Amino acid sequence: MKARRIALAVMIVVAAVALQTTLFASIRPFGAAPALVLLIVIAYARHLPPDYALGIGFVAGFIQDLLADSPLGLWALVSTTTAFFVVRFRDRLEDDFSLLGPFVFGVTAGALALFSVLGTIFGQKTLADAGIVKKILLPSAYNLLLAALILPFITWTLGVARRRTAAFRL
Amino acid sequence: MWRPSNLDRTTGIFIGLIVLCLALVTIDLRGSGEGLGSTLRDGTQAAFAPVQRAVATVTRPVADFFENISDMFSLRQENLQLRERVTELERELQETESLQVRVSELEALLGIELPRDFDSVAAQVLAVGVSEFDHVRVIDRGSDDGIGLDMPVVDEAGLVGRVVAVTGSVARIRLITDPTMTIGVRVERTGETGYLRGRGSGPMRLTLLNRDAAVVEGDLLVTADGRFPAGIAVARVTKAARSEVGYSLETDAEPVAGVTRIDFVKVLIFTRDQAGVDDLEDLERLPTQVPTDPTGPAEGEGEEPPPTTTTTSSTTTTTTAGSTP
Repeated sequence: MKARRIALAVMIVVAAVALQTTLFASIRPFGAAPALVLLIVIAYARHLPPDYALGIGFVAGFIQDLLADSPLGLWALVSTTTAFFVVRFRDRLEDDFSLLGPFVFGVTAGALALFSVLGTIFGQKTLADAGIVKKILLPSAYNLLLAALILPFITWTLGVARRRTAAFRL
Repeated sequence: MWRPSNLDRTTGIFIGLIVLCLALVTIDLRGSGEGLGSTLRDGTQAAFAPVQRAVATVTRPVADFFENISDMFSLRQENLQLRERVTELERELQETESLQVRVSELEALLGIELPRDFDSVAAQVLAVGVSEFDHVRVIDRGSDDGIGLDMPVVDEAGLVGRVVAVTGSVARIRLITDPTMTIGVRVERTGETGYLRGRGSGPMRLTLLNRDAAVVEGDLLVTADGRFPAGIAVARVTKAARSEVGYSLETDAEPVAGVTRIDFVKVLIFTRDQAGVDDLEDLERLPTQVPTDPTGPAEGEGEEPPPTTTTTSSTTTTTTAGSTP
């Protein structure tokens, strides 16, 4: 059961990367697309035990790294940090569910900002991009909208109730 | 006082993973596009291509639906613009035909070797980068079709980018708008040379080397860079500018190729040897100033500065490279 759920999680991450690189090449309102993989990481990190949440963050980022033009490990670093941040703050979201939307927006924006800073440090000149603000804010806004679909879907795949008192155990 | 026991298990794992990530980044950067990182990337890209192909096929109707909605609003305006453009092009075609006759006569008179047509491979864009920060496209042709590293990629309007990774069945193109891309260019109208830097989703930045240079809006910039055949259209100046005393001219230019909406591209079977720059490099002195990025490339950056701004006339091409706007 445990192995099956881990395999399912990896498959969902791979599907997200495939959608990100194909479907969202065409659907780009205002010239930007959602950061789907980050949203998946956030969704998993809300429920999984911390170790697994960090693991999913790392694996998702590493898969992105393998298909990206940036140095290997950069997306893994950003995704792992995102998962860690979500794990640390997720209990507060359970107290006030209305914070979930702004939280998804903020975490996505923070992760993309972190990537752009690290990218510049590691020679990718990401901050030299003239549309850097748009590239951070628009995907974050789209993630906020997509969260209404993705978060319940991930919760459903894990088979957990929305309200809980402890992290879901695989 | 801080002790390791102060760390909880989650923080410990997090720090461990971050250290692992930094080690990966360091190894990859030190490999400079070769070694373990490159092997892993090529293998993953080759393995992932069928998945991307399948997902693209399945989601095509959805993508088409959204594209049609967005096209509906712009169709009328685009139609009008295209009619105007057709009229303009017909006039230009007539002028070009008469000029071609004159050029042929002069070439025959001077005994100049005619420009060579490059072989090319047509390809379809299979996927884009994994994030907004990746200015890359994955195409459905690879080394099995004759595509190699560093080959220029064009669309019907001009230069799109160059091949930065290739496997048997797919290749990855880095777009000219990538902030790490710097291309040596020539202003077609005046012959002034300079370099063009990508700035992501913003306009490209043109810097001219001559401190008395001037450009006007609409000036066409063509390649003058040893890595590409000379004369491929790259961008059009969007802001007229004149250099101020003591400073290089800097202004904005928009790529002529539809880099944000490319579907089909053509990879020119062209290597640097064909540009004739290797012979020049052997002399350890280039005939004209090298348009390097003044900020200098960062460590681990894949992009090397353009080697020269001049190319031998025998290797130039205008017909296959889409240099005619």
